[in-house]
Amino acid sequence: MAHITINQYLQQVNEAIENHEGSFCAELLSFKHPHVANPRLQLSSPEEKCQQVLEPPYDEMVAAHLRCTHAVANHDFVEAYKFQTLVVQSFLRAFQSHKEENWALPVMFAVTLDLRIFANNAEQQLLKKGKGQPGEMLEKAAEQLMSCFRVCASDNRAGTEDSKKWGMMFLSNQLFKIYFKINKLHLCKPLIRAIDSSNLKNDYSQAQKVTYKYYVGRKAMFDSDFKPAEEFLSYAFDHCHRSSQKNKRMILIYLLPVKMLLGHMPTHQLLRKYDLMQFADVTKAVSEGNLLLLNEALSKHETFFIRCGIFLILEKLKIITYRNLFKKVYLLLRTHQLPLDAFLVALRMMQVEDVDIDEVQCILANLIYMSHIKGYISHQHQKLVVSKQNPFPPLSSVS
Amino acid sequence: MTSSVFKGPMNRRRAPRRISHSQRRDAPTRGEWRQRTQEQRQRHDKAPVDEVEEGERCEQLGKETVPRGSCRTMCPARELRDREAQNRLHRFEMLAGTERDRRPKGDPLHAVKEYSRPAAGKDSTHSSDLRPPAVLLKTVCYLIDDIAASPSQHPWTEIYGFVFDRLRGVKQDMIIQRVSGLNCVAILEPTVRFLIYASYRLCGEPLRLYDPRINETHLQENLSWLLDCYATGEGPYPNQEEFQALGLLYNLGSTRAAQHIMELPERLRSTPTIRLALSINQAFLERNPVRLLRLAQRLSFLQGCALHRHLVTCRRDLLLIFSHAYSSRNCRFPLDRLAQLLSLDMSLTAQLCQAYGVDVNQDNQVVFSKAAFTEYEQGKLHCKLYHSLVAEKQRDLTIGNIVHGCA
Repeated sequence: MAHITINQYLQQVNEAIENHEGSFCAELLSFKHPHVANPRLQLSSPEEKCQQVLEPPYDEMVAAHLRCTHAVANHDFVEAYKFQTLVVQSFLRAFQSHKEENWALPVMFAVTLDLRIFANNAEQQLLKKGKGQPGEMLEKAAEQLMSCFRVCASDNRAGTEDSKKWGMMFLSNQLFKIYFKINKLHLCKPLIRAIDSSNLKNDYSQAQKVTYKYYVGRKAMFDSDFKPAEEFLSYAFDHCHRSSQKNKRMILIYLLPVKMLLGHMPTHQLLRKYDLMQFADVTKAVSEGNLLLLNEALSKHETFFIRCGIFLILEKLKIITYRNLFKKVYLLLRTHQLPLDAFLVALRMMQVEDVDIDEVQCILANLIYMSHIKGYISHQHQKLVVSKQNPFPPLSSVS
Repeated sequence: MTSSVFKGPMNRRRAPRRISHSQRRDAPTRGEWRQRTQEQRQRHDKAPVDEVEEGERCEQLGKETVPRGSCRTMCPARELRDREAQNRLHRFEMLAGTERDRRPKGDPLHAVKEYSRPAAGKDSTHSSDLRPPAVLLKTVCYLIDDIAASPSQHPWTEIYGFVFDRLRGVKQDMIIQRVSGLNCVAILEPTVRFLIYASYRLCGEPLRLYDPRINETHLQENLSWLLDCYATGEGPYPNQEEFQALGLLYNLGSTRAAQHIMELPERLRSTPTIRLALSINQAFLERNPVRLLRLAQRLSFLQGCALHRHLVTCRRDLLLIFSHAYSSRNCRFPLDRLAQLLSLDMSLTAQLCQAYGVDVNQDNQVVFSKAAFTEYEQGKLHCKLYHSLVAEKQRDLTIGNIVHGCA
């Protein structure tokens, strides 16, 4: 296969199309397949040859693919991206003419995946030369993917079996990848809406669903919807294939902070297994109510947390850390009427910046409001009066 | 040819502000941190052409397709003539002495190109109608120094109406010519300061004179364009720190704004200005209004203006959590202490309590009660009454100082 001639290759493509062999056809157009390394296929002007064997628009599609292999062989990803765009466009023309058929979906997956990858590479190449704007190429690629998405989403005529709608989730996932990269998360919303209202949403492949839930979970997290975020990310983590340790780790990076906010602390074992010891001190600090350690842990791994986009969410753990610290004060004093000064002393021990009694009252007030503490503050007596029963309800029962 | 190129959706790409394709389908939620410009959306909607083909054509045509202005005055001669004939001159643009004429004369030294909505068939790319960057900068300075900052008899809402529209016209010229780099920054910075100041100064004005929503949309657009310039250009940008902080304070509590700050280089992030803004944001997220209001004392006047729209929420939060925490029959909270925490005087504090259903008794004691707290009805609360925290910072600063960044 790796050394076949151009004629043999074109014959194979032609047969695959005529016999509607989607997967084989996809291989013949994919950069994951070894044929792309075959120098006999890396042609700079294969148009004529393609026209002799293939019908339009397939001739154009394959010609563009071969020129793309040529460009990739020369490490010119800007060119490669241009040709891959042509591949996707001519594919889409053919795809639209396939009425009530979806055998070509694997081809769409292959060519759109490569499009996104080349857009990414092209952008890197351009930026290195000081040209172009970050995100520019990826946005253009997203437009192409969107036109594919529209074709799939609007296929209302075909029966479930032959529906192009089976392509929607794959495309959404590719688009999510781009939107997260270029920081345009609000663009995810219409895609999520489209999938949510689709009757196929539970029947996509497990792999696609895992990716999908991972991104939807991250989106929910960004919008501070922590409950749904936990749900989506947990699904992704539980259903991710056991051999994909790297992916499981990626899911955990977002699942851990959400779980922690909801009061579930990860075990040391889990953190070690997935090489996420950056979270170890954070976990310890929160459980112990050790604000000082929390601040240290956050600044120590700041770069990692910022890069993952979770720094701000981890900062929210401060509220729970206050709760745990104040619970310790309560356990030490063993009374239901706690002088506010005691909390001030505790905060000063944790080197909280210029804190005073007014702020202590405010922090306590917020904890009471959030039901982390059952009780009330008496200003006259400068005391926190806590409930005799269960004054610090377990975290997981609260949020 | 130029007009077809201009209408194509792809060539906008060359403009420093990059607009994403699918926004047209997905209207951004209100208060979205970065919003598209209205004029761009309109152009977008009118160009249902195959985007890639169009894009490629532009690529082949290359740089010479970018329209370049040649108009040396603030207002193109043709527009001045037309508006004079149609009696559509603003009174700031009339030749002195002719204001009371049946048809006042336009003053070429004071007339400024107005914003006009892009429409089908209208060609806005004539070089004689476009002002090159240097003229745009001069126009902005004129609008600020001679109009916004000049002591005049006219109400400030009228001044705002004029300056706002003409600044919008400036932005339109910039988009069409794809102005970028230092020029762009020099124009956007005072524009952003002006809009932030206006959001404070005109707070509470009747809707027909000042619409906070529209002001916000433009402010966000200009701001995000400016931040894009900082991110992609070479610099140097001596005011970057100031505007990064303003952006965060104005968008307090927005994940996106805070995330943006977190991704700035450490040397920028650790400057005192940005650190203060971050602490205020943190206090807001932790729902610690006492700390927030305390930190707010340290802000400059303009920073106070940027923050001011969040002060209502912040004070409401304080009353809300205190209503829960001090909710006990025999407990009282002294009004003067509460006034201190809220950074308000006693009578305003009492008034604010009343607005939220919080009881203040005859001995100036606040009686918090979980059950009594109610959200105020829309329009019942006048933000402007509670401006003192910001107003005190203005002291003898003039509008010129504020908008030119000498504050």
